[in-house]
Parts: sequence; C-alpha cells; structure tokens
Amino acid sequence: MKINLRIWLKIPDAEAATVKNTLLRRMGYEDALEGLGKERLWSIEVDDSVADPGDLARRLARELVNENKESYAASVDSIEFEGGYIPVKVGLHIEDGEAVSAQNRLRNRLGFDMVRGVERSVIWKLALKSEKPEKTAEEIAERLLINPHKDFYEIMT
Amino acid sequence: MKIAVVQFPGTNCEHETLVAARSAGLSGEIFRWNRPAEELSDFDGYIIPGGFSYQDRLRAGAIASKEPVMESLREEAADGKPIIGICNGFQILVESGLLPGLGGVDVALAQNVMVSKGEIVRRGFYCAWTTLRHEAPPERCSGSFLLKKGDLVRMPLAHAEGNLVTVDEDLMERLNEENQVIFRYCDEGGWVEDEFPVNVNGSLESIAAICNPEGNVLGMMPHPERSSFAWQLPPTDPGKSAGDMGSPGPGRRIFESMKRYIEVRR
Amino acid sequence: MKIIGRKDQEVESSLRSAGLGLTVSEARSIAEVLGRDPTVPELFNYDTMWSEHCSYKSSRATLNEFLHTSGPNVVQGPEEDAGIVAIDDEWCVVIAHESHNHPSQILPNEGAATGIGGIVRDVNCMGAKVVATADPLRFGDPFGEDKNHVRWVAEGVVDGIWQYGNALGVPIIAGDVVFDESFDTNCLVNVVAIGVVKRGEIIKSRAPAGAGEKGYDVIVVGKPTDSSGFGGVTFASEELREEDEEANRGAIQIPDPFLKNVLFKANEALFKLTREEGITIGFKDLGGGGFTCASSEMGASAGYGMDLDLDHLHKASEDLPPEVVACAETQERFMLICPPELTPRALKIYNEDWDLPNVYEGARASVVGKVTTNGRYITRYKGEVTCDVSIEHLTRGIRYSREERPRKISLTEPDIVAPEDLTELLLKVLASPNVSSREHIYRYYDTEVQGNSVIRPGEADAGLIAPVRGEKFGIALSVDSNPFYGRISPYWAGATAVAEAMRNVAAIGAYPATLTDCLNFGNPEKPEAFWEFRECVRGLADAAKALWLKGYEDTPVPIVSGNVSFYNESPEGTVDPSPIIACVGLIDDVRNAVTMNLKKAGNAIYLVGPRFDELGGSEYYRTAYGVTGANAPKVRFDLERSMIYATIDSIAEKLVVSAHDISNGGLGATAAEMALVGKGDLGMELALDSASTEDLSADRLIFSESSGFLLECEGGAEVELEKLLKGYCLAIMKLGKVTGSPEIVMTHQGKKVVQMDLETAKKAWTGGLVEAMR
Repeated sequence: MKINLRIWLKIPDAEAATVKNTLLRRMGYEDALEGLGKERLWSIEVDDSVADPGDLARRLARELVNENKESYAASVDSIEFEGGYIPVKVGLHIEDGEAVSAQNRLRNRLGFDMVRGVERSVIWKLALKSEKPEKTAEEIAERLLINPHKDFYEIMT
Repeated sequence: MKIAVVQFPGTNCEHETLVAARSAGLSGEIFRWNRPAEELSDFDGYIIPGGFSYQDRLRAGAIASKEPVMESLREEAADGKPIIGICNGFQILVESGLLPGLGGVDVALAQNVMVSKGEIVRRGFYCAWTTLRHEAPPERCSGSFLLKKGDLVRMPLAHAEGNLVTVDEDLMERLNEENQVIFRYCDEGGWVEDEFPVNVNGSLESIAAICNPEGNVLGMMPHPERSSFAWQLPPTDPGKSAGDMGSPGPGRRIFESMKRYIEVRR
Repeated sequence: MKIIGRKDQEVESSLRSAGLGLTVSEARSIAEVLGRDPTVPELFNYDTMWSEHCSYKSSRATLNEFLHTSGPNVVQGPEEDAGIVAIDDEWCVVIAHESHNHPSQILPNEGAATGIGGIVRDVNCMGAKVVATADPLRFGDPFGEDKNHVRWVAEGVVDGIWQYGNALGVPIIAGDVVFDESFDTNCLVNVVAIGVVKRGEIIKSRAPAGAGEKGYDVIVVGKPTDSSGFGGVTFASEELREEDEEANRGAIQIPDPFLKNVLFKANEALFKLTREEGITIGFKDLGGGGFTCASSEMGASAGYGMDLDLDHLHKASEDLPPEVVACAETQERFMLICPPELTPRALKIYNEDWDLPNVYEGARASVVGKVTTNGRYITRYKGEVTCDVSIEHLTRGIRYSREERPRKISLTEPDIVAPEDLTELLLKVLASPNVSSREHIYRYYDTEVQGNSVIRPGEADAGLIAPVRGEKFGIALSVDSNPFYGRISPYWAGATAVAEAMRNVAAIGAYPATLTDCLNFGNPEKPEAFWEFRECVRGLADAAKALWLKGYEDTPVPIVSGNVSFYNESPEGTVDPSPIIACVGLIDDVRNAVTMNLKKAGNAIYLVGPRFDELGGSEYYRTAYGVTGANAPKVRFDLERSMIYATIDSIAEKLVVSAHDISNGGLGATAAEMALVGKGDLGMELALDSASTEDLSADRLIFSESSGFLLECEGGAEVELEKLLKGYCLAIMKLGKVTGSPEIVMTHQGKKVVQMDLETAKKAWTGGLVEAMR
C-alpha cells in the first residue's frame, strides 16, 4: 500500500514564481501559460497490513510536513488531481539520497517499522491554454523542468 | 585585456574573482545580468563566478541558463573567446549546453554523494581544500593553458551539486579521448581514487572540470579565486607564509592561463 | 479597546483574547498617558516596543550597572544595531551578536536561518560589508530521553545555517557547539556577524539632522510585508510550553537568502551614491518588532516624529489588519530615510537596476511617509488614523526592577580513584560530543567565500580573515561559554567565558579588541533566574575590566554589542546560565598568525598557566564519572592577563610556532588536538610533574580545565621565550617536546600515564560529533 502526501506552501512559493517568470519572460510561453503551481510529493510504500492508513498518514506527515509553512493532503495508492491544470511529476532517476535518508530516519530513528520504501518528487501544475496542452507540458518539462541526465518526468492524468 | 565577470542575482563570488583575475594581470569589471547584453562583445573573455544564481531554484544553474545574457555568451563562445565557469558558473554552462558542448544538455551536476567502501557516508554541501590533477596536454584549454599534463593545483571547493552524471554511456570515452577532461580530484600526491574523501562529491571518474571540444570554454567546481594568493592556503601548506600579501597561490595559474590564451589568440 | 473604567479581570481577558502580551497595569498606564482608550493597533505597537526583546525592561539596569561599553578604540557603543571599534585610522570593524533561540526550538531550519539573516542586516545597515559570521549553538543531550527531538533540532539548525549562510556569501569562520541536557527543550542558537567599514562611511540607524524640518521621505525596501513573524518579539519574551508550539509556529519568519543577497548589492549601490553626493541618510534593518520598531526608533532617536501611511507599504495581500502590517516580522526588509531629492534615484536602484519586483514577487522599494517635527508617531491605514501616540513614550519603554535570590543547589566533589593508565579515559574525553572534532558540522559551512579566509574552523582556536584587499591586517573571531560552569557558578561562568574567548584570539597572535555578550537565561520574573543573570553579568564585566585592552593599562576591553535572551525555559526546566561571549581580535599582519597544528619534531612544548584542582563542570567528571562536581575553574585575573599578553607577544616575536588554549578536556585534550589537526605524523612527549604548584594526581593534571595555553617553541628560541614569560612573571613549565612518532606520551613521577597512538585517537575524536548527530 502506498501513502501519498501532497504538500504545498501556505506562504508564497518563491521557486514556483521564478519558474513561472522564466517561462513567461524568457522562454516564450506568455500566450500558453496561464498559471503554475508546485507541490512536493512523498510516496511512502508501507506494509499492506497497516490497519488505519489515515492515521499513519497523519503521523508520517508530522515528520515530513513543516506545518508552519506547508499544508498537505493524504491519499492511499492513487492520487486524484483537481483538474484545470496538467500535473507533471518530476523526480530523480538516479539514486535519491534524500529519500534514502528519510526512509532511514523514519524506520530507524522514529520507529516507523512498516515503511518499505520512500519516493520523493515534485508535481508541477501547469495551467495551459495552448491547442495541445499535453504536448506543451511535455515541451516545458523537457526544456526547463528536468535535466534528463538525472531527472525523469511523467505527465499524470 | 578586459574581461567581464558576469553577475546573476544570487552570485556571491564576483568580487574575489575579479580581484584574482586582476592579480594575474587581467583588467575587467563586474557585469550585471540585466545590462544590455550586446555590451558583452566589448570584452575579451568572460568568467561566470560562483554563488547561488536564483538560489539554485529548480536546480543549480537552470534558471540563469535561460537569461538573455547567456545567448550573447554563446555567440562570444562561438567566436572563440574564453569563458570560465567556476562552481555555479560551471553549473550554468552545463545547463545552457555550452559544456561539454556536444549539442545539447549532455551531463548533469547532481547532488554530492560521498561514498566510501560502498556506503553513503555523507550527502550535500561540502567545503574543503582539494588537489586537482591536470589531465590534458598544455594549451588544450583556455583556463589551463599554461599547465602541463599531471600538474597538481590546490584550491578549495564549496558546493552541494557537483556530482557529474550522464545517461550517455559513450560520453566518458569521448571526453577522455578528446582531452575534454581538464581536472580530476586527487590526493596531495596526485593519486586519483574513486572514493570519498579523494573523490569528494561522487563525480563520475572523479571529474572536477571539463572543457568544450574547442577548448575555449572551461567549467570547474573548485574555486581558483580562493587560492590565488599564498596567504589563502591552508596552514599545513608550506607555501602559506611565503612572500608578501601579493604572492601568488596555485589558483592564480587559472587566471594567468586565461590571460595567455587571450594573448595567443590575438 | 476599552480599558478605562473596566475591572482588571475584564481588561486582562480582552488583552489575552486579542493576543497581546501587555500586563493590565502596562495597558492602564498607556491609557492614562493617552488620556483615552488606546486603539488595538496602538496596543500592539506598545506591546512590541515594551517587550523584553525590544526594551530590555528587566535587564537594562543590570547592564548599565556593570558593563563597560566605551574605550579608546570604540567608535560606537551598543546604542544602535551593531557596535563599532577602530582597526586603524581608516578602517573599523562592526559587530553584532544575537540569539534566535525560541524560533529555532520550534522550527529549527527557518529559525536558525532567520537568526543569521537578522544579524547580517544589523551589520550591513551600518554601511558595512559583512565579512564573517560565527554560530555558538547549544543542544540537548543527544543520548538522553529526548534524543530524537534533540537531534532533529540540531540537524535542522545546522541545515538552516548553511543553507542560508552559504547562499548569502558570508563565510562562517567560528562557532562552538555544546550538548547538555538543560537544552533538551530549549536549544540556544546565537549568531555573531562582523563587518568592515571606513570610519567616514558609517551610516546611522536614525533620521539624519534636518530630516523633520525638511520632511525627509521614509522608504521601506525589500520583501512585501505579510503576516509572518507577527507576535515574534512577544513570543521571544515568554516561556515555551509544548501546547503552544502550534500557535507559536505562526510567529516564525520565513527567510530568503537570495533576496537578501540582491538587497545587499543594491544597498551597496545606494551607499556608494550617497557617498559620492555627500548625502546623509538613515538606514535600519527591519528586524524584531518589524515596521513599528524600526520607524519609531529611527524617529525618536533623532527627536523627530513620524507620519506613515500603511496603504503605501507594499504588502503580500491587501486584507491584513493594521496591527499585523505594523508589527509583523517579515524578513529581508530595510528602512531608508532620505531627502526627497534622492528618492527617485533610490527607488530606481532597487526597483529597476536590481529589479526587485522580478527577483521576488511583490518585492520593491516604496515611499511610506515623512519624518515630522511634532513628536507624534502617526500611522494611517485605509483612511483612518490607526495610531497617534507620543513617539518618545512609545520608544522609551519601561523598566522593571526584578527580585534576585541565589539558586540553591547542592554541589559536592566526587571521590575518585583514577586508574594508573589514563589513556582510555583520555580517549573517552576526546570522543565526547563536546570535545570531539567539529568537522562534521563545519564542512557544511562555506568557510572560504569572499576569499578572505586565513585561518578556518578546525585550524586554530579562532578564525581569521584578511577582509580588505591591499591591507595586511586581520580580524580574528571566537565565541565561548561553558554551561556546566554556569550550573555551578554563574559568576565564574561569565568570567571564564570572557577569558577563554580572549585566549582563543590570543592563541593565533591577535589581541582582543572588543567583546560582545549574548546572555541566555530563564524567566527573569523568577528570582533565581534573575540572580543567575546578574551574577553572570558581574563576572563577565569583572573579567573584561581586569584583563585590559592591550596597550592600555587599567582599561577594560569594551563590550560594544550584545543581546539578552530571557525565558529560555519550559515546564521541564531552565537552561544552564549561558553568557555567550564573542571576542574580536586584531592582528597587524595576517602572515604572523599561528595555528595549532604541531610544526616540527624536536621543538619544545611549554605550558602557560599552572593546573589547579578545579574540575567542577569538567568534561572528565562528566564523561568518566557522570558527575558535575563543585569547584568550577576560576579566572585569576592578573595571571590570566599575563598569560594572554605573553602569548600574543611570543607569537609576534616569532618565538612560538603553534599555540592552543586549554579548555574543555584539559591539557590532555589540548595536546591531542595539536597533534590531530596536522598530518598525523607528529606526536608529543610530555612530563607533567612541573604542571602545577599543588600536589595533584596525574588525572587532575591532565583533565583540569584551569585556563592556560600549550605553546610550541621555535627551535633554538627557548631562552628568549623563557625570558619573555619571566618578564610577565609566569612560571616556566617546559613539559616536553614534539616527536616524530605518531603518539601522545605523558609521564608523571617517572611513570607513563598516557600512551595513545594518533590513529586510535583520531577515530575517537572525529567520530564523537558524527555519532551525536546521526
């Protein structure tokens, strides 16, 4: 079973603002890009025998979410997006050291024995008004959002 | 000989880089990123110094690589003028495709991973002195023009993302064959070992610096400007107290090379 | 808010439900002065300005009573954001020292980062280039009951410091870390920043002369104001309770080093312009207390009033209440007061040349009001006057005289039978998280940026930079305080912290030029905590007074900046008294500085400072026997002064090639460290018999933390060095020599008491901190 924590900033997201600014001012998407948002995503593989995944998600969030500046939504296995944008997931295809240490910390130091694996990624939420929004999203991912030598992307629909 | 030290928002090594370049006999100025880009052509060479351009948002160098000033630098590079990217400057050159310069974005500088005996012992930012071994023949590259193959140069490094990776399986062979690998991390005796702390950031084949096929564009993670004066050396180095405050440190060779490269090209 | 004519209980409940920290009697006194009920924004302004953090209401009297803040080298004492002392006729060093303890306990990363952010603004706004920072840190017991939380805090704080400091481009050249269970629920995160400025180019944090008469503009520069940090100063002035943690999180500010980096460069451009044009401006950082604190202090300190329109201030959203706009502690903001003819050019520097609106969404420079001559502090918002009070009354603050009572603790010295071979115990002390190598932490810090570093963390007792190209002078920086001594004797904790910070800079050959104090204590409303505070201040003031500024007899080393942090307390307990001292040292030529690594086999090793039986609070007592003891180290003022100045002189005369001060872990740890920081090929052979005039056992000689130095004498210079030491009436204690074999050997009364190979020692010494922070 996989617990997904989607996390977004309550304060202004400076990184998202910079990426948007670059797409609009430097890369020619002023007609195509209507809006851009960003979420962090932790996907945590846990034992299927976990009785109350909702409670576990809350406990995991206490460790992974900084509630002074972030909010989150938890879901089990699948993720439902709200619509109105194309979600583009970007993560590392090389070993993700941060995910490895998060897993070690959760299991070894904080006693989450049921955790089997931890994946970390970013969801870019692109609101596009181009003719083929998916095509544009792919193009934006490849031109800016990833470096293919370490990152992968996936259009999530 | 006038060089421009290109400053992006978040750059933080421009002043000492200009001081180091001047100590090698170059003249120059700091060039703010939003100045008219065409003014760049007045210069004979360019240095993109270290720092955190756009705070490494998205990934180090990614945002700065899209600035108009980089388009102008691409043209100057095609003209054969020297460009040296140091630390964040190297990251920007990689993201803009100027390095290794094979047509696209050919490598990534990923997060440091310190590996010893098969285990990750540390990750992320690391600041320490290191020794670099010059891997190319003399005159191969603008920023190491005066160095012989096998020369050792000491300087500090300080970065979180300097781990060179690629998905292109043939790339390393090509870079080695074409002498595009300029420096590797080594120990004080010149020995290269693919283990932390000699390979300080997990970089493929201990690579610390590469150049483009033409040799005029160089990118390096360590900081020669922080080792351009003898007094900057660590206390265990016998050269530290030699001479006066102006006495050169090993890093000055990079800037002297750049100067020589400009002279020869003229 | 209705106050006049209402019962205490009613006033109390309306104050609390509004989120104000003011007491009922404070609120009544405000209403009385105004002659009417104050508005809610007015009360928040008073709440901010009368908080412990802004007004020093509990501490001011004590500080004034004891501390010497002036001196022949003082250019500016503690009256502004940072203190300034002269380096030579042209250059000055600017220093500020603050705490960011409460925020770091709750949100370690942001809390620590904001701490650095605030302190560098304090230095920059004096017109200075910020050239170095230092970070004294105190965390709980990494192996105790709260270990997970303690490590979470420690890791977050270190991350916050490097992520912010490195991006900013200011090298971290000094710091210390102590783990002690009294910090389990109250970590201490202090930050020190230093800058350099030419004497004629210092900028004041006040409205310039004539500003009121000529109606100077008030301009706010930087991040758009949001609600972050609202209530921050009140929060720093209250005890931490766990149930409040959620609520307190809102009081934490969000730092942005990138915007700060750009702001610093834009400031530099502005300062350059005003110098060229000969225009005097006022410039101040918006830190604790936000807009209200900066604007009212800038006006009041020049005797002017302020008329400010909050509508013109750039904000993250337009629906913020007036008290939030005024008192939020949004980071990365400055206030500029300048003549109207400069305004368009100032705005252009920020809004166009440095393109703030595109660097950070909503950031810019905005004109928000005028300086006036009517002595009123007036703010307007959405067509209403939200505040109209006497600026002098608002900023004068209040004073409390607190009660003091000695803390009753029972202290005993343990009965100890130490083994004959002390090697294992020395290894244990070296592996203690409080003695072991700090490398694990300082490798995260960019200690090299700006290219000025001469001596870095881990190389000597103090960091050293050559901050001005073309000049030979260097600025050394060190920090110190030992909480375990504080537990036993707050007075001696204050005195030893001053002495050790000064010894640290002396050990590289620099003379102590100024001190700062950041005083971290519990709740001052409790007489015991207030007594600890007074004792510490008395101790550190006595030491500063008795150790003299070099070259000036009977002249105290001035304390030009500092900070008081009370309420470092939670229901679980209070922190050990922690007067954290920073010392700035100066050296004429950086190439004459020495480090602590051993230089050459055969060189003689001298001990300066005899060993005394004062192992209370020592690393040895705690790691070997788990006890604190009763006899904390004292400072023998005349002896200490002689030791410090003899060491400086012997380095200047090139008689000494390496030096290391004796502190945590005693002479044993000091000797080991001198061997361990080198290449590992040089060891030491020492006979301890002459190390004390008292009849002490070998373990006491090795582990006593009495102050002192180990000096490595240049080959052939023994006679001259001994002559110099005798000239300072110091006993000659030539303990042994540097050897070419990689081991530390110590003998006592003809018996070998330590034989430790350096490889084993290195493992213990480098592993201790890694283990504690894993």
